[in-house]
Amino acid sequence: MAKKDKSRQKKFDTRIDFTPMVDMNMLLITFFMLCTTMLKSQTLDLVLPTNDNINKEEETKIKESDAITFILDGTLDKDGQRSTNGKIYYYEGQPDMENFTLNEIKFGNDKDAIRGMLQKRNKELLDQVNKFKEEWKTGKINDSIYNAKVKEARAKQAEDLNAKRPIIVIKPTANACYADVVHMLDEMQINQISTYQLETLNKQDSTLYEHKVGHALGAQ
Amino acid sequence: MGKVKIKKKSTHIDMTAMSDVTVLLLTFFMLTSTFLQKEPVQVITPPSVSEEKVPDEKLVQVLIGPDGKVYLNLTGAKDSTQLSTETFRSEVLQEAYGSYSETHPSAPKLTMQQALEFSKIGTFGVPMKDLTSWLGMKMEKRDDFLKNEGGIPIAISVKDGPRNEFQTWLNAVKVVMQRHDLGKDLVGGRGVAIKAGQDSPYSLVQVVMDNLQTEKLNKFTLMTSLKSEEE
Repeated sequence: MAKKDKSRQKKFDTRIDFTPMVDMNMLLITFFMLCTTMLKSQTLDLVLPTNDNINKEEETKIKESDAITFILDGTLDKDGQRSTNGKIYYYEGQPDMENFTLNEIKFGNDKDAIRGMLQKRNKELLDQVNKFKEEWKTGKINDSIYNAKVKEARAKQAEDLNAKRPIIVIKPTANACYADVVHMLDEMQINQISTYQLETLNKQDSTLYEHKVGHALGAQ
Repeated sequence: MGKVKIKKKSTHIDMTAMSDVTVLLLTFFMLTSTFLQKEPVQVITPPSVSEEKVPDEKLVQVLIGPDGKVYLNLTGAKDSTQLSTETFRSEVLQEAYGSYSETHPSAPKLTMQQALEFSKIGTFGVPMKDLTSWLGMKMEKRDDFLKNEGGIPIAISVKDGPRNEFQTWLNAVKVVMQRHDLGKDLVGGRGVAIKAGQDSPYSLVQVVMDNLQTEKLNKFTLMTSLKSEEE
């Protein structure tokens, strides 16, 4: 009898309807997609000189002839918005206080833009780096070796006092746009320039600027 | 005439596979993404070719709004044996408010409750005189206050002069991090990040940099967004 009972037991459908589960999961996915971010911000390292008084002997001597000073200036758009493409002026070596020469230059990849100018100046190192890059592209060397080689080449250039290398001084005016300053720092990275500095305008720079633009700093 | 027999098909679709996929997707999103930070001002960071990621621990983030308001965000170490974010925040608060009270004896005392409240707040930045009342506010009111009347008072630093409030905070951060043997992480160059909008005038950023320099934090990073290298 017992055996017969068992065989008569009702068979349950073992399938479960997953539709509500899918609904809930979709909701959760939507929530995560909207409330979270996958993007992680990048950073640009920057080192400023210390404010401590250091001995004159400890200061690194640089050749003035190698120095290029860039003055970044901002302009206002028609709608009064700060333009992200401000004007850039530069002079080489010492400021020319007799003729007040101040050249204008633009961001960009052209020969006569900043990229071309810096490339020409830092040719020795860039040629080396490009050689490494070529090797890296063809798969001869991997990422870490490439980075190490570039680092080594840069260090070698920094140590060799006779090497021809540009020394860049970036001087943004109060009007300059933050994006322009970052763009300028980017150019340093792209062109493998290891000696650059962010400074404020001194009196001579302001005089040059005034002669070039026709009005004093800060006045519009 | 023979009846046309329509075969009855079950309309049920097996959702198991679908469910598998969604669970996988969900897991992916949960593991890879981070929650959006609530910030009093929204800024778009300038594009840069730099590929280094912002560190996600032991970080002091300085947020500069388009109108020059300055906020701070402190993150402690991920490693639980080291300084946690909560302890970091509350210790910095006590340190900074302590040195403020020294010069302002009439300032209201900070309660433990307020310190605890502060340790849960991500981005902060109110003048010291409003600090205790700000911590006593309700969450929504606090955000409004931060947006409208917030911002840590900052000025071009005076050589050997008294610290401004921003410098007081920086100094407090420094003291706390050194107390927990994390001083190297702070001054090493990856400890301080400046976040400013790309359209902000440089002068606003310069003020912050100047103050960092005065507090001997002359190595730091600028937060940027990725841009591919134009060749």
